[in-house]
Amino acid sequence: MAADKMMQFVSVPQALPHKRAVDERVHDFGEIYDRFTPAHAAQQASRCEQCGIPFCHIHCPVQNHIPDWLRMTAEGRLEEAWELNAATNNLPEICGRICPQDRLCEGNCVIEKGFNAVTIGTVERFINDTAFERGWIKPNKPLRERPQSVGVIGAGPAGLAVADQLRKEGWQVHVYDRYDRVGGLMIYGIPGFKLEKDVVVRRWRLLEEGGVQFHLGCDIGAPGSPGFAELRSRHDAIFIGTGVYKARALQVPGVGLPGVVPALAYLTASNRKSLGDDVPAFDEGTLSAEGKHVVVVGGGDTAMDCVRTAIRQGALSVKCLYRRDKQNMPGSMREVKHAEEEGVEFVWLSAPEAFIGQDRVEAVRAIRMRLGTPDSTGRQSPELVPDSGFRLPADLVVGALGFDPEDHVTMFGEPELKVSRWGTITIDWSTMQTSMPGVFAGGDIVRGASLVVWGIRDGRDAAASIHRHLLACAADGSALAEAA
Amino acid sequence: MQELPMESGEAFVRAYEANRAMLEERGMYAPEDEHSSCGVGMIAAIDGKPRREVVVKAIEALKAVWHRGAVDADGKTGDGAGIHVQIPDAFFRRYVIDTGVHADERLGVGMVFLPRNDFSAQETCRTIVESEIIRGGYQVRGWRQVPVDTSVLGEKAQATRPEIEQIIIGNPDHAINCDTFERDLYIIRRRIEKQVVAAQVNEFYICSLSCRSIIYKGLFLAEALSVFYPDLRDEKFVSSFAIFHQRYSTNTWPAWRLAQPFRTLAHNGEINTVRGNTNWMKSHETRMVAAAFGEVNEDVKPLIQAGSSDSAALDAVVEALVRAGRALPLVKTLLVPPAWSNRIVMPQEHADLFNYCNCVMEPWDGPAALVAADSRWAVAGMDRNGLRPMRYARTSDGLLVVGSEAGMVPLDEAMIVEKGRVGPGEMIGVDLLAGRFFHDTELKDWLAGLKPYSKWVKNIRNLEDLVGARPFEPASYERTDLRRRQAQFGVTVEDMELILGPMVQDGKEPLGSMGDHSPLAVLSKHYRGLHHFFRQQFAQVTNPPIDPLREWRVMSLKTRFGNLGNVYDEDPSQTSILQLESPVITTTELAALEAHFQRRMRRIDCTFPADGSESLRVALERVRQEAEDAVRGGAENLLLTDEDVGPDRAALPMILAVGAIHSHLIRQELRAFSSITVRSGECMDTHCFAVLIGVGATAVNAYLTEAAIADRHARNLFPNLTLQECLARYQEAIGQGLLKIMSKMGISIISSYRGGYNFEAVGLSRSLCREYLPGLVSRISGIGLIGIGKRVLEMHARAFGEGAPVLSIGSFYRYRRGGEAHALEGKAVHQLQHAVQTDSYSAFKRYTEMLHDNEPISIRDLLSFAPKNAPVPLDEVESITEIRKRFVTPGMSLGALSPEAHETLTIAMNRIGAKADSGEGGEGKERFTPRPNGDNANSPIKQVASGRFGVTAEYLNAAKELEIKVAQGAKPGEGGQLPGFKVTVEIARLRHATPGVTLISPPPHHDIYSIEDLAQLIYDLKQINPDAKVCVKLVSEAGIGTIAAGVAKAKADVILVSGNVGGTGASPQTSIKFAGTPWEMGLSEVNQLLTLNRLRHRVTLRTDGGLKTGRDIVIAAMLGAEEYGIGTASLVAIGCILVRQCHSNTCPVGVCTQREDLRAKYEGKPEHIVNLMSFIAEDTREVLASLGLRSLQEAVGRTDLLRQVSRGSVDLDDLDLNPILANVDPGPHPRYCAATGRNEVPDALDARMVVDARPLLDDGEKMQLQYNVRNVHRGVGTRLSAHITRKYGMAKLPEGHIAVRLRGSAGQSLGAFAVQGLKLEVFGDANDYVGKGLSGGTIVVRPLVSSPLVPHQNVIIGNTCLYGATAGKLFAAGKAGERFAVRNSGAVTVVEGVGDNGCEYMTGGTAVILGSVGDNFAAGMSGGMAFVYDPDDILPSHINGEMVISQRIEVPHYEELLLGLIREHAVTTGSPLGKQIVHDFQGHLGRFWQVVPKEMLSKLAVPVTLAELEQAARRA
Repeated sequence: MAADKMMQFVSVPQALPHKRAVDERVHDFGEIYDRFTPAHAAQQASRCEQCGIPFCHIHCPVQNHIPDWLRMTAEGRLEEAWELNAATNNLPEICGRICPQDRLCEGNCVIEKGFNAVTIGTVERFINDTAFERGWIKPNKPLRERPQSVGVIGAGPAGLAVADQLRKEGWQVHVYDRYDRVGGLMIYGIPGFKLEKDVVVRRWRLLEEGGVQFHLGCDIGAPGSPGFAELRSRHDAIFIGTGVYKARALQVPGVGLPGVVPALAYLTASNRKSLGDDVPAFDEGTLSAEGKHVVVVGGGDTAMDCVRTAIRQGALSVKCLYRRDKQNMPGSMREVKHAEEEGVEFVWLSAPEAFIGQDRVEAVRAIRMRLGTPDSTGRQSPELVPDSGFRLPADLVVGALGFDPEDHVTMFGEPELKVSRWGTITIDWSTMQTSMPGVFAGGDIVRGASLVVWGIRDGRDAAASIHRHLLACAADGSALAEAA
Repeated sequence: MQELPMESGEAFVRAYEANRAMLEERGMYAPEDEHSSCGVGMIAAIDGKPRREVVVKAIEALKAVWHRGAVDADGKTGDGAGIHVQIPDAFFRRYVIDTGVHADERLGVGMVFLPRNDFSAQETCRTIVESEIIRGGYQVRGWRQVPVDTSVLGEKAQATRPEIEQIIIGNPDHAINCDTFERDLYIIRRRIEKQVVAAQVNEFYICSLSCRSIIYKGLFLAEALSVFYPDLRDEKFVSSFAIFHQRYSTNTWPAWRLAQPFRTLAHNGEINTVRGNTNWMKSHETRMVAAAFGEVNEDVKPLIQAGSSDSAALDAVVEALVRAGRALPLVKTLLVPPAWSNRIVMPQEHADLFNYCNCVMEPWDGPAALVAADSRWAVAGMDRNGLRPMRYARTSDGLLVVGSEAGMVPLDEAMIVEKGRVGPGEMIGVDLLAGRFFHDTELKDWLAGLKPYSKWVKNIRNLEDLVGARPFEPASYERTDLRRRQAQFGVTVEDMELILGPMVQDGKEPLGSMGDHSPLAVLSKHYRGLHHFFRQQFAQVTNPPIDPLREWRVMSLKTRFGNLGNVYDEDPSQTSILQLESPVITTTELAALEAHFQRRMRRIDCTFPADGSESLRVALERVRQEAEDAVRGGAENLLLTDEDVGPDRAALPMILAVGAIHSHLIRQELRAFSSITVRSGECMDTHCFAVLIGVGATAVNAYLTEAAIADRHARNLFPNLTLQECLARYQEAIGQGLLKIMSKMGISIISSYRGGYNFEAVGLSRSLCREYLPGLVSRISGIGLIGIGKRVLEMHARAFGEGAPVLSIGSFYRYRRGGEAHALEGKAVHQLQHAVQTDSYSAFKRYTEMLHDNEPISIRDLLSFAPKNAPVPLDEVESITEIRKRFVTPGMSLGALSPEAHETLTIAMNRIGAKADSGEGGEGKERFTPRPNGDNANSPIKQVASGRFGVTAEYLNAAKELEIKVAQGAKPGEGGQLPGFKVTVEIARLRHATPGVTLISPPPHHDIYSIEDLAQLIYDLKQINPDAKVCVKLVSEAGIGTIAAGVAKAKADVILVSGNVGGTGASPQTSIKFAGTPWEMGLSEVNQLLTLNRLRHRVTLRTDGGLKTGRDIVIAAMLGAEEYGIGTASLVAIGCILVRQCHSNTCPVGVCTQREDLRAKYEGKPEHIVNLMSFIAEDTREVLASLGLRSLQEAVGRTDLLRQVSRGSVDLDDLDLNPILANVDPGPHPRYCAATGRNEVPDALDARMVVDARPLLDDGEKMQLQYNVRNVHRGVGTRLSAHITRKYGMAKLPEGHIAVRLRGSAGQSLGAFAVQGLKLEVFGDANDYVGKGLSGGTIVVRPLVSSPLVPHQNVIIGNTCLYGATAGKLFAAGKAGERFAVRNSGAVTVVEGVGDNGCEYMTGGTAVILGSVGDNFAAGMSGGMAFVYDPDDILPSHINGEMVISQRIEVPHYEELLLGLIREHAVTTGSPLGKQIVHDFQGHLGRFWQVVPKEMLSKLAVPVTLAELEQAARRA
């Protein structure tokens, strides 16, 4: 029976592709997992239970049809699997690599408890890498070109999703980004061992070939770049997907000392270096961990990226300071595991009290925390443990406490643009439109720091709405033309 | 039962008429749904000479079948009884002697019911009758007022009693012979009937108008016949034959005319195909011109009067054919032919005869024991499946007695020369003119010789011959084009992957589980094909479904192309037809057809402009006109196709196009001249094929599906299969599916299914149905042409719009976001689990909010409460504890559920005083007593399902309620199969089976083929457990109300109406999705009909099917339910996350699996269920309080507290729930069950036996008792077994500890559930169901010593003996009936011949058959062993070898076993054959076959072949 191919979890155990040994992988920025062989992928995909209510699908922000393409993979129908996967996701090869599957699809897989989840992310990566290799993935070729255009601010996941979706319909798409490369955090934020840079570049090229026009180094509202108002007059619709870039500052004494750096600056330098750019701050050592005792403050995915980058840069020691315990950290458990394997020391239930040093940072004074009684939502707030201070030596301190939005109202000079008290742009979720007609937004700038996949979801939702908006505009336009 | 208030007969009739009129107009009632069934029989003098004895014996016989009818609460109003006899000339002549009648003049007599109270109407009728007689050329010799004794009438019968008169007709023209006189009287009667209808007189009815015979019938108990009609007691009242009938109806409406016999026949059973047959008769009539009727052919049409019952309709057609000059036996064969086409062994001449009959007319199919008589013949015949009992005896003084039961007419055993039965498709008859008796074969030989049928059937051509050498040309489209077309028809990825892929791969439909959670089609926000609005109907109680897998030999998909001819004709032109093996045709086959028909096949384009310039209505008018023109222009075949869809053309829904054309051609009287072939793009699953054929298509070609298969094949998705093989498998899967869908209705032959509208429409506009699908029931109306047109165009725009077409992913079967909503979605599942795990009512409320926020999915989502009172404080509402007692966890078997989950449910429900249902499959004895920690895992409700697994006397006695599962929501009308890998050691123990061996549940209960059979099973169950109530589980469908009324009359205490959404462990996907209707519809219909018939207060109503919240409970109460089954929510509470892989045995949470490793994952606790039930109860209390009600009882039946708040989407014609909300005035009775105890059944012989057996029951003494027995003594030994079981257990007493010797004909269910220690010994014979559920007892049936019969040549026990037996012995010196030892799992038996389907589904025990076996022996037999003595070497052609092997006995172990059993048989029964075989065992051994299930071969302790035996010895 055809269905018999599936539901093999009862006999086939979970198995990831080969993971490179620690002492091998800590010396470079290559990805740490090998790719599945086709047979291995088919076998792992066949473990899927083919649920009546697929919780993986429900908990996937873009509602990937996971059980369906798992079945197709198990049956060796990779091209169909890819088609179905690509139908709901504009950057599946990236999601397959960096989604925290353990909190999304895989974490909700019904066989997770007791049998270990289906390795959904790895299969997704396999399907899409295969698709690229076999040349199934082709640049967009819309049936017809439409004259109306859209300006997309930000070439991160949300912006790229918007661009891809709208190009399929034949609209003219211009993407503006302040950086010199496409990808946003995907290119400069996420280290290569999680997402090799040529993967992002490959997607960039593909979009370009499909007719998306990128305007790089273009920081809307900044001197030398077009202003927001100008952009609006150029395009029939605008999408803001600028992300959140303002690092949440460490608020303890000594934060101004040299050697205390924000995470993004640290990661960007490292990524640029890998891409072959000239990065003086790295070369001179300010943003390099080589030969240093490193302390990273924070417990999210960015913190994990920092500690693992530091290891690869040749740090003498890497410690991660987090005020809650392992169970309550926001970052992916899988990343913690990798970091631990690679030699990172986690200092749980600890918060920095001060950074100590003369000309530059020499140590972190920290204090122990404990978790209070849970509140009604079950979350436990950390409390200080009196008289529990201790010192950690540190040559480099990386603050990875998260990101806040920049002040877009000022940047764009648009007082009409409604923002929340946290600075995120306020939209109508049913249309993804901001308070300004024809201006849409999505991704981190709306949600606050979030996942790549949520950015894609927002981009797709916004694209659908922009499409309707443009159709309406076009209709009006032709009505006007007829009237004239 | 307590005394209930009574209404007077007059008040009842008034209230009934008012209520019925209201329901017919705006309720759920449809009079055509009513059923009746009965006891029937005939006595004939073989020499054809009238005798007084014949009449006397018939009257006596009626007194002995009273239990096959029903009695009203007044104890006197029966459902009708009557007798059909010859006109005793001497009797009537004296009344006309003064009118100048010549002594030689032949007299005709009419028996007439006139309106009693309306004298002017009476006069009108008399005038019509007289003037038509005179117009016909005859003379009126006077009216005679028939004397009647009304003292025997019940009040209700009295209130509706007609004036009964006879008209005597003279025939002064001596030249006119009797046949002409008779035919003229027929025409006169038809004219009178039409005139009376025109005169708008309702209560007029002619029982008979004949010069040969007369019918006396009425609404009294059968025994009162001769009291009511003193005529019958007159010594002058003589006849050469007498047909008698006792009716059991599903209503209580006292309608005199519905009593039987009818003019030619009396019928026990039900014509399943009556809808299709009556529809086709309309088409046949056009061309029916009988030479015999000359100028007046039109006067007899329509042959079938509107509002006829199935039996009356059949009678009308039989009568017309007989009057037109056909021999009665031929008419029976023509209308109710035997099965003949599939590997059934018979003489070629017989097969040719039946083949000829098949060319002339669609069979009237369904359980039918028919007795009929005309001027020459008296015949008794049976349907193809032999689904009713019919026994006969011939005496040495020339009497033939035939009837539903043996022993109805006491005969002197010493004078009986033959005892037999009429088997499936058989017929016996008496030629009264020649004075000769015909056995079945003799009669068929005679018929086959009437015309050169064998020559005629050579005219038949087969499609295969046309296809022959043609090239293979599958449909195919380029990929994008294919997708666009698929998108037009709403095809989804799910359809392709979940349904089509497996169909091609495996050649059968895929399975699913957990019921249907997606919205009704009419409520869906998404495009749904029109077939989604059709719900398959199915047989329950009043007729049985068939097993299409094991009993396919009686079924056929053979489809004929060719004009319908003149049915009256008998000539070779009738056989010039083209025959197809199946109505499912490939494109290649269609091409062959086109080549064959050429210009006689006309193509009709079923597409319409996509720009909306032509409305759907206009388009349908166009195709109708084109069809009409084509047929008038000589087209014999219409090809309806939608392949012209494209950017500018959208597809007409093909079902609508077929319905429109089919109905139009019928109206134009053209349907008989053309076939309708369909080429449809939408058609993919079996259901869609069934709907197309059901609305009139002759053959169907699913070209787009074919192209999709070709596309998948091209993508190498079917490795190792050629495309031709792929298509063949698909055809095979659809064919199997069609058989399954037909078999649900009990229909065997596709030609009788075609055009039969065996569906109920849910959510289709009533006016649309009236116009295009006349005859299709659509009670709540719904989407019409406007909505359908709009949705089709929307799909078209998507399909042919810009951009690549993408098939939607689907969410119909399995949830996908953006597709169809599901009643329980992921969040709600987790929320409910969180609530019950943390005992948090507020969390539960969040869950109910989630459900209430969901989009409408079921009918109740369109309803809201309309309070009449101010709210009351919550603490004034009855307690949680009270409310919880009304909750039930519905039947989920241990076999589907893991033992852990099964026990959790039971323990929890027992803790709160609620009820858990064991489900099918038995329950371990260890669960019958509470555990040391106080937990009680004994299910209060024990299910009795068709498989009867583990249904023992002990099991039945451990219950408080016994539930007869007639149907199951997920797959009503279907059987089930527990695959071998799920039969663990534990399950095998409970089900008395072998681990690892497949267990099959048959579709029907083999002891319920009819309503009176259900009454018998209820009787048996109430005998074996003297305290337990009996519940009958039905599934919601149109007509369930009348079925429920019949069930209530059969003395059920509880009726469960199950909704279509119901959960399941495994069922074909299309069955889950398209069979049955929502419980809201069925429940309200049942409540309305029970109230109408004044039966509501005598039964408890229960419902289930997706009940999840307090709101659901209160709505169910208002629609009539008092108890509520909560299934899926219970499973979710103990961990189910709707993975829907129950059928795969891979449940990851251990709820629905038998795998040890998965069961270990189970985490459910009784507390979770207790919490769930408490939360739902509390939620219910809150709703009640808000409505100002203080208890749930106050809400029962209060539809006035509900109102419709949504009429669905704006593009619907209307969605009208008023039929559901119609409120019947209950008169003086309450709207809920007022009975405190159970509805008791009358005592039979066991009441006496139990008294006489006190020494045994009190002190354990060994005893012997002796009685005379008659057929009215049913279930002998059963009540005694109940007492033994309770005192000693069912396996403690030594064998034969109490011996009961009986003399005579034992009634049905002799020794049912008899336990060890009881030995029943009958000298005489016995009826059906001997040893049903035998639980260790011994039964011996042998002829009386004085009988001259040769035992092994005569029938001694009836049908369906040892059904579900688990242990014990049965020895019978004679032949048994059909379905012997069906589902036997442990009994040992020796008999001397069996009928068809012997040892079917057997899973254990040993059967020795010293004589012939009928067809389809050992079908579905997966366990046990059979030995057949076969001197004529017929077994190889009669055995169904799919699951068994047969071989000569090789191993000595089995020789000894066999010899031992035959020896025991010979000793206990005195069987001469037995003695002979024992005497020379080695001499006979070579004539024995050993029949062993294949699955058992490797599991037997002693192998059955010498080779294996030696191998085993070597290994040892």
